[in-house]
Amino acid sequence: MPEELKTNNILVVDDSPTMRRMVITSLGSLRRVKSTQAGSGLEAIERLAIEPVDLMVLDLNMPDMHGMEVIGFVRSHQAYRDIPIVVLTTKGEESSRTEALAAGANRYLTKPFDPRQLADVVGSLLNTR
Amino acid sequence: MDKPSPDNGGEFFHQFLDDYYAECDEHLVLIRRALGALEDEVGAPTIDRALLDNLFRSFHTLKGISGMVGLSAAEQLAHHLESYLRELREGSATLSESGSEALAVGVSLLEAVINARRNDQPIPSIDEITDRLQSISANSPSLPAQIEDSETEGSTGGRWLVEFTPTAELAERGVNVNSVRARLQEIGELVQAKPVVKGAGEIAFEFIVATDADQAALASFEADGLTFRRVAYEPAQRARDTQAVATLAPASVVRVDLERLDELMRIIGELVISRTRLEDQISSLKRETPPAAWRLLQETSLTIARQLRDLRESVMRVRMVQIGEVFERMTFVVRDLARESGKKIIVQLSGGQTEIDKFLVERMMEPLLHLVRNAVSHGLEAVAERDAQGKRSEGVLSLSAATAGERIIIKIADDGRGIDRNRVLARADAAGLEHANAEINDAALLDLICSPGLSTREEADRESGRGVGMDVVKTVVEELGGQISLATKRGEGTTFTIELPLTLAIAEALIVSVDGQRFAVPQSAVREVLEVESTSTKVLENNEIISYRGKVLPLLRLARIFEMNHERGEKFHVLVLGEESNAVGLAVDRILGQREIVVRAIKDPLAQSKGIAGATELGDQRVVLILDIGALRQFALEARH
Repeated sequence: MPEELKTNNILVVDDSPTMRRMVITSLGSLRRVKSTQAGSGLEAIERLAIEPVDLMVLDLNMPDMHGMEVIGFVRSHQAYRDIPIVVLTTKGEESSRTEALAAGANRYLTKPFDPRQLADVVGSLLNTR
Repeated sequence: MDKPSPDNGGEFFHQFLDDYYAECDEHLVLIRRALGALEDEVGAPTIDRALLDNLFRSFHTLKGISGMVGLSAAEQLAHHLESYLRELREGSATLSESGSEALAVGVSLLEAVINARRNDQPIPSIDEITDRLQSISANSPSLPAQIEDSETEGSTGGRWLVEFTPTAELAERGVNVNSVRARLQEIGELVQAKPVVKGAGEIAFEFIVATDADQAALASFEADGLTFRRVAYEPAQRARDTQAVATLAPASVVRVDLERLDELMRIIGELVISRTRLEDQISSLKRETPPAAWRLLQETSLTIARQLRDLRESVMRVRMVQIGEVFERMTFVVRDLARESGKKIIVQLSGGQTEIDKFLVERMMEPLLHLVRNAVSHGLEAVAERDAQGKRSEGVLSLSAATAGERIIIKIADDGRGIDRNRVLARADAAGLEHANAEINDAALLDLICSPGLSTREEADRESGRGVGMDVVKTVVEELGGQISLATKRGEGTTFTIELPLTLAIAEALIVSVDGQRFAVPQSAVREVLEVESTSTKVLENNEIISYRGKVLPLLRLARIFEMNHERGEKFHVLVLGEESNAVGLAVDRILGQREIVVRAIKDPLAQSKGIAGATELGDQRVVLILDIGALRQFALEARH
């Protein structure tokens, strides 16, 4: 299949189901995109094992495995190293912005988020892969 | 203002409000549970780490989703609660009595803010509590962290390292990281859960579980591709993130909007009507159809009826929630009130696993809260008063639920001072209410205290009944097709018993006729059906009565209420409604039979009428009105005066 017709699989990781729905609906405006979801860091990594993932939208503060550890895990393994990660976390912990970007997150957005901005960021990361 | 700004995609996020409220409810339940446990740790040298983690995360999530839907008061309040929790977690503050109280007050307010938004009411101010939380954090002595991991070392036999390699095939069979973890938690305590990458780039999960289970028990996991080996205890492996492994809800739970279930119920209702029609048509074919063929038709029709009942019951079960959640919420309210009033109260819960329709439970929330607040504020005595009477110092409030057939029975009982009849009577006189003066029984007493405008308390005490009064309690119960009763004894306590149908949408009903017009009477409201000779009625002070079980039963002529003619036959039927002591007889011309009916509300205000609760359709497509028994009894009571 030619690259430009490929459907991109976006993994949305957040422990709040409402938040996941908001993110997935926001990404609905993008073309050739489908979403998978995970409610914890461990689940997110399980999804990686099961299906190819083209981009992750990742919350930080989650049970089981903190988002920072998910970034660490993904960036330290050859097979997943290049997956773009958009951190989407609740405003208020500004120190984590530098930490997340240093650990290898591609973009750092805060909640409340603007659905158009999120879609733009995700869209541009997918296009420049 | 608490309106989302357009640059925040405010309109866009409106579509998620129902999800938002549902998730808020879930977190508030978890928070209350955790706060209850946390309260027991006030002043204790150590605080359970997992408890703090869970509370923190719930506040964190509420803050995040509240911000998304533009409810900034909830966002800020959750933020302050979260900050205080963070300090507790990091050990830079200790949990004091005032801190625990501020948390409880903050959570109540958070809930009030969310509910205000849900009901389109003004959002309460949060300034006072956020100031309080901030000053508590600022003034709290900083101590070295003394937070206890929930894991207890050495309490378990051995430690096993369990390795799980997820695959798409396993996931399809429902074997995934969550299900494996849940299984391990069943057999022991999960100490660690972390992902690893194997040689070929394959992802696996390593769990360390402390358990008494032996190799044979673990062997059953092998079929799902799990490997395990015994490992030595290594404290160093307890990383920061592995402590709260027990928090995720099972992934197999699906959340469904109540409206979709209503829709499903509506469709089933239509099926029930169509089936009734089919049955009527089959009956009419009896004469012209060969007996064998007719019997087959009849059997098939009955099979469909049975299957429909199964379908209806399955959907009803989906709508059911455990009443325990409501009880827990009550416990929380009782704690607050007890703290404010200095009373000592033990709450006893039973039957929390009893299931009740989600819609019913939501409608009943305020009335139940009112009864609980009343019991605490007015029923249960202060410690000194109890001591003086030789009662145990702690008052007991018990909440229980049970099912009996198609009904659910909820009891709210206290062992307090009981209701003062004389005082109620005096208030009733003052309010100009008529009553049978001497020896008023419990049922009549209940009718009195449920009269609109009657409060047995001084103005300052009105607080306890925030929002609703006893009249509203009774009205809601009756609107839901239920009944409330009272048993109270001076010095010994008060018990309110509420009986509700398990569900509302479909009910058993008696079909009756008056002047050729058919009506449906909910079966649950009917105590007994009598056949009465026209000559045996008497008229007393403008009221028609008959004698019933040695007592007088006031008669209510449906024909008169709806201004119709009634047949002057030799006999007629009377449906006995309500409590034995306060029963009313509903006179009708004829009983046509018993049917399963689908209850429809009458939404057109022009068609609404007092005494009519809704409408239904029988097989012949004619509309039959459903009688509102609560309102009819009210007619009878008014007629008496």
